[in-house]
Amino acid sequence: MAGSVNCREASRLLSAACDRALDAEERQALQYHLGRCAMCRDFESQLKILRRAAERFRDGGA
Amino acid sequence: MTDPRFAEIESHRPYLLRYALSQLRDGPLAEEAVQEALVSALESVGSFNGKSTLRTWLTSILRFKVIDLQRRAVAERAQLQPVDAAEAEDETWLDALFDETGHWRAPPQAWSDPEAAFEQRRFWEVFEHCLDRLPQAGGRVFFQREILGEETQAICKAERITPSNCWVILHRARLALRSCLEKSWFAAEQSLGR
Repeated sequence: MAGSVNCREASRLLSAACDRALDAEERQALQYHLGRCAMCRDFESQLKILRRAAERFRDGGA
Repeated sequence: MTDPRFAEIESHRPYLLRYALSQLRDGPLAEEAVQEALVSALESVGSFNGKSTLRTWLTSILRFKVIDLQRRAVAERAQLQPVDAAEAEDETWLDALFDETGHWRAPPQAWSDPEAAFEQRRFWEVFEHCLDRLPQAGGRVFFQREILGEETQAICKAERITPSNCWVILHRARLALRSCLEKSWFAAEQSLGR
């Protein structure tokens, strides 16, 4: 099972990782997927940008 | 009334309303809290020393109004608009974003120069517009989690949902927000060659 998630599942894990610690199996499967999928790596960086934007928004935006 | 800072204070109203809604989960009550906070802010704007941002200062005033109103009126007036648990468990919306093999239907793009975007007022208008388009409960949970930085446990308790419902709601909100920002800002900016 480990090492075989698709983009749909990877997006769920990437979002979950913003809210909770992933378990070892989840982490391994996600890392394996990200190593081979540029689209999900882009999604991962977008989540980081969303988080920075949210912090900035709290302080007043521009 | 004609204080030049009136317009500036007023421009934070949508943010403040979102804050109040996330805490009170009741539209009219949230409006009332914001109204009271803005009146207090205008009365005491002379004491704003610019050590924090205006938004932070306004939020701290609002926080007290919210607590006040929670104490005073919640029991009889709050019409809680709860998260629909069935909706939170339903993941068919993912089918619109991923095909049968689980691949992105519209793959995310690399976003160029977000820091430059953050400097532009227009970006924040787009950001608010995208927040407004989230489903009501999703927008509220997202606001609590990402903008206020609350822990999911506290959010679940306030919203009376399970952690896994909360994660599903947040997953959906993040995907919707990223898609809206990409469409309304990042893709558009790139096509302008910036």
